[in-house]
Amino acid sequence: MPRPSKVVLTQLAVGTSLILISGVLAYGAFRFPPEMGFVILSAYVYPYAVAAFVGCVGLLLSYQAITGGLRNLPDHDDVAATTIPGGKAGAAWVTVGLLGVALLIEVIGFVLAAGLLFAFSARGFGSRRPVRDLAIGIALTLPIYWLFNAGLGVSLPHLINVWI
Amino acid sequence: MEILSSLAVGFAAALQPINLLWGFIGCLLGSAIGVLPGIGPALTVALLLPITAKVDPTGALIMFAGIYYGAQFGGSTTSILLNTPGESSSMVTALEGNLMARNGRAGPALATAAIGSCVAGTIATLLLTLFAPVVATLALKFGPAEYFAILVLSFTTVSAVLGASMLRGFASLGVGLVIGLIGLDSTSGIARYTWEVPELVDGIEVVLVAVGLFAVGEALYSLLYQKEEAVRRHRLTSLWMTRDDWKRSVPAWLRGTMIGFPFGSIPAGGAEIPTFLSYSTERKLSKHPQDFAASKGEGAIEGVAGPEAANNASATGSLVPLLTLGIPTSATAAILLAAFQNYNLQPGPMLFQTSSDLVWTLVASLYIGNVILLVLNLPLVGLWVKLLQIPRPYLNAGILVFATIGVYGMRHSSFDLLLMLAIGWVGVVMRRFDFPVAPVIVGMLLGPMAEKQLRNALSISQGDWMVFVTQPIAASILALTLVVLVIPPLLHARGIKLHEDD
Repeated sequence: MPRPSKVVLTQLAVGTSLILISGVLAYGAFRFPPEMGFVILSAYVYPYAVAAFVGCVGLLLSYQAITGGLRNLPDHDDVAATTIPGGKAGAAWVTVGLLGVALLIEVIGFVLAAGLLFAFSARGFGSRRPVRDLAIGIALTLPIYWLFNAGLGVSLPHLINVWI
Repeated sequence: MEILSSLAVGFAAALQPINLLWGFIGCLLGSAIGVLPGIGPALTVALLLPITAKVDPTGALIMFAGIYYGAQFGGSTTSILLNTPGESSSMVTALEGNLMARNGRAGPALATAAIGSCVAGTIATLLLTLFAPVVATLALKFGPAEYFAILVLSFTTVSAVLGASMLRGFASLGVGLVIGLIGLDSTSGIARYTWEVPELVDGIEVVLVAVGLFAVGEALYSLLYQKEEAVRRHRLTSLWMTRDDWKRSVPAWLRGTMIGFPFGSIPAGGAEIPTFLSYSTERKLSKHPQDFAASKGEGAIEGVAGPEAANNASATGSLVPLLTLGIPTSATAAILLAAFQNYNLQPGPMLFQTSSDLVWTLVASLYIGNVILLVLNLPLVGLWVKLLQIPRPYLNAGILVFATIGVYGMRHSSFDLLLMLAIGWVGVVMRRFDFPVAPVIVGMLLGPMAEKQLRNALSISQGDWMVFVTQPIAASILALTLVVLVIPPLLHARGIKLHEDD
């Protein structure tokens, strides 16, 4: 099936990132400290092999990307498909929420951090009532907190930090 | 006979009231999470893994069996009522089951899926009971060279056979192997690719990767690329199956089981092939071909019964390589392996000797889990359907909160949460360009295993690589790997497809 010859930049980026990873692997393996004693297969052999494998796959993917795009994609118009309106903003809200919970969970405590994540994600998925979302988020995480800490003995960070 | 008495001990442990209670709780939670659209069994098990952490191993295993079966049934429920399969192996169920639901027969579709899963699960567990000890005994004779060969075969089949492109399968496998490289090298003690980040020395948890790829990646992807469709929910009708329904379902269940179990138990991975195979078998054998989706029918009940049975049987079958060889061949099995390791159990041929009590308790709990599922879920199906009415923002926000708790609960590390977010974005790219996800999960677990076995094999042969060619078992498995690599492109070149595209 002849395809119009075109370069698909995003796909090329996927291919080149694999080549990049391969380079990083090889560089890292090169810098491993020397091993002592009798060594049958050094710690760098397998990493080099993985680097070579990933590099080859990256090259082939890049080649496909340059010569008309990846083969056998499920939707044939997929290459042209773009993000839906508001999609990027939604994904940004979710990303910020997850970033926030990672950075804040040990600062403001589990329930508040998870509650904020809930509110941010709900906003990302189209909810427009931040206060209510936050309340629902906290109402949802409180029982989980009790269940984990009291019932199952898995300790989560403090409910909210005492000094707040 | 020895099997029977071991199994009896297992049942005695599993049937204690407190353990039964754990089983019920597991089944409830598994169904509740598994029924949510877009969540398959692998993710459900990953999300609920931390809950089992502090329960004693016996109770935890039973709970796990419950979660596992509940998750599978939850997935079929969503496929039938909403047409949103949580994983590729329920695609066929969605095809015929949703058609039945649209024609007012949601009840019988759900019933045949549930009873079929129970029948298939029970027969498959019976086969597991008979075969696993035999395979384990056989596996005790395997040396590192044989193990290495089997691992290479598993890599290859998981990434090359499934999916539309072998190259993209290998790319996913590569990503998995790279993730597996990170951390302490078990043989030399060198910390590899940790870039002086202390959190990386222990390696990256498989649950973290699964949750990142499945939950976070899926949420971001659906925001970016999927229009919110007005999903048509179908009213639940009576679950009662007519005499005719039974007559058409029973043979389909049995055939599905016979197709599913062998596929699950060889290291080929995935329930996709057996479900599609079962579907096409039912379509060929059916006396009612006009009911099938392809002939614009009203939905054929055997098209739900067969693939659902095949799916469940192959899931149980995948426990054979997992328990006897310690090799996971699907994403769900990989998560199960992580769960076993949580309880300090190392699956493999020795498991049947060192922890035989626990193994037989697990097998017994699989039998019980099947029954729990049936008595619990079929009556409660109305409740699960109500869960689907949660508005989309809250549903997704809740899933993300759960994902965060699950990942943070494992190691109490904020770094892990950042990693989860990053892997989520990798998941978006993979999903966007149709890279399969299972090879990542399988690769990150099997990579380090393969390296270790390779080193052991070469130590024994004193550095002679010919050992892989001269030892008959290892050589034939490697030859088989070559065949697996060569056949799909050949078939493809001749215009034969392994999958039925619709």
